[in-house]
Amino acid sequence: MTATWLRWTPAVAVPAVIAAGVLAGSLPASARDPLPEKTPAQVLAMIGQHQTKSFSGTVEQSSELGLPDVPQVGPTSGAGTGSLAELLTGPHSARVYVDGPSRARIQVMDRMAERDAVRQGNELWLYNSKDNTATHVTLPANASKESRSHDMPAGVATPEELAAKMLDKLDGSTEVAVAEDTEVAGRTAYNLVLTPRSDVTLVGSVAVAVDGENGMPLSVEVRARGQQEPAFRTAFSTLTLGAPDASLFNFSPPPGASVKELAVPAKPSGTRDLADRNRTRSNPADRDLGSKDQSEKDSAHKDLRGHAPTVTGSGWERIVGIPAHSASARSPESGKQPVDRLLNDPLLRQATVTVEGGRAISTSLVNVLLTDDGRTFVGSVPLERLQAAAAAR
Amino acid sequence: MSHSDGPAVQEPRAQQAEMQRLTVQNSPVAGTTRRPSSVSLLGSELKQLFRRRRTQAMLLALAAIPVVIAVVVRVSSAVPPGRGPAFLDRISQNGLFVAVTAMLVSVPLFLPLTIGVVAGDTIAGEAGLGTLRYLLVAPAGRVRLLLVKYAGAAVFCISAPLAVALAGAGIGWALFPVGPVALLSGDLVEPDEALVRMLLIAAYQAVSLLGLSAIGLFLSTLTDVPVGAMAATIVLSVVSQVLDQLPQLEWLHPWLFTHYWFGFADLLRQPIGWDSFGDNALLQAGYIAVFGALAYGRFVSKDVLS
Repeated sequence: MTATWLRWTPAVAVPAVIAAGVLAGSLPASARDPLPEKTPAQVLAMIGQHQTKSFSGTVEQSSELGLPDVPQVGPTSGAGTGSLAELLTGPHSARVYVDGPSRARIQVMDRMAERDAVRQGNELWLYNSKDNTATHVTLPANASKESRSHDMPAGVATPEELAAKMLDKLDGSTEVAVAEDTEVAGRTAYNLVLTPRSDVTLVGSVAVAVDGENGMPLSVEVRARGQQEPAFRTAFSTLTLGAPDASLFNFSPPPGASVKELAVPAKPSGTRDLADRNRTRSNPADRDLGSKDQSEKDSAHKDLRGHAPTVTGSGWERIVGIPAHSASARSPESGKQPVDRLLNDPLLRQATVTVEGGRAISTSLVNVLLTDDGRTFVGSVPLERLQAAAAAR
Repeated sequence: MSHSDGPAVQEPRAQQAEMQRLTVQNSPVAGTTRRPSSVSLLGSELKQLFRRRRTQAMLLALAAIPVVIAVVVRVSSAVPPGRGPAFLDRISQNGLFVAVTAMLVSVPLFLPLTIGVVAGDTIAGEAGLGTLRYLLVAPAGRVRLLLVKYAGAAVFCISAPLAVALAGAGIGWALFPVGPVALLSGDLVEPDEALVRMLLIAAYQAVSLLGLSAIGLFLSTLTDVPVGAMAATIVLSVVSQVLDQLPQLEWLHPWLFTHYWFGFADLLRQPIGWDSFGDNALLQAGYIAVFGALAYGRFVSKDVLS
């Protein structure tokens, strides 16, 4: 007769084994050969030089911006897939396939739905399975060239010079350092960390992981002050170098889908989008909310032709003030202003709170103040600063 | 489920059948002293399971889900996209989507409900009918009995989603045009490949339900009242799904056995994403191991009085 405790042994042993397995799996992989030491300028130059043109991989994105979550319950497909702000809440994952400069496919995998962007040469298809809609854009013939030059402005300066120049420019406001190597998607990577020198900004740090072998950016992580979790993180979880299956880039809308032809914008923003995504898959919505990428911000300013927004402060403390709007009505071809579009978003509408002097949307990285007289102030600074800026005029 | 199955009415007949089953197993023809082979044990278990009115009624009810969906869509006007369960708007264009929609709809409640009934009944049902001791008198061994009972529940896990899928494909074929199927990615696949993907989804759901079956088996060893074990299993599946929705418990989510239940959408993408299938299988294997071990500990050391 076996003792009772012996019979219960498996019931104890199995969870113990599982726990041990999980612990072993979560331990950081044994230290690989460390990458050769590099200065921040050298790492930046690596990004500029990287030649990775064909790859496929999965990108995971998570946001902890303090926006309300969209609950996803039951057998319906993800709520609000049409909503821009939805991309800023909760986790998302996307599969990315890139073959050379002119063929790319991005699949944002939603719950029971998918959003696709397929580019084959000058043809760009956008497809959303949730409402079964497709949008077709024919890019201008020189688009791919343009996208290359945007990708690598090497005609102007070598990557090294460019990196040095960028560092010079950054140095006043930002401390750039190479932290300890990290591992992203199973690859060892340099960890370039940008820390604002200002105490006022909400941004704690921005970390970019750069592949130690080929210089491809593998992850971007933005941390907010006083928050444990990264406020925004996008990273490859798997990455395979080499050309993906060519049939992936052949797309025609399924029968029954409503197809919309989109006129080519004067400036091929679609190309730029793709080129950007090839690098870090930066989120368009993220950009709209005021990512710290200077060139993006500048181009956003140009959209508001004749209605120049004011900029106060400098570096990370910059506050952009947008006057009471009328610009969007004047330039219909440029589409609605990003800010307008965001503010009409039902999710963000829900997130606005009434504060002194207007309404505000507070996230852990960016604050937006909508004054009662229709002006908008955006900045990566505490709300009081925005209110002060609004009151100053 | 079916009310004619109350123990008061059923007991004598079931007991008789049970005795018959045991005598067959122990008949001299099969060899008097040899233990019955596991295959024949499983065979008689499956026969008993699928001959039950209750099991048949549950499979019929599951098969009725796609039929109801198809008929409703057929007689009603066009469904606007983006409302109701996913894929509902595609049904009128392609009948094969009936199966996908029905499988989707049955995941949160209908499938766990039937699995709860079957898995919760495994040991407690025999105990409740007073036939458990006869089964143990036969030289089958408790461990083997447990394994055979679990295997029976596992076969039901496979047949339940399959019933939905096949009924859905059949009724869709009958009521709507069938053609190349648009996947979530927008790519088209031929109907035969679409059928293969549907079978894959059924397989995914079968795997999803194995963990719940193991929980049901363990709960079933705890009690002599089958209804208690059934209800507890079903309640657990609902609780797990509710916990999966609470953002405050995010750390817990990957450990919930319901966490990947809706992950089969990855089988409808081009190319197929196998990650969720693998994650789900691993998680369910963990649940089977843990609750199987618990069921073993409980059942082997249990005093069987009924």
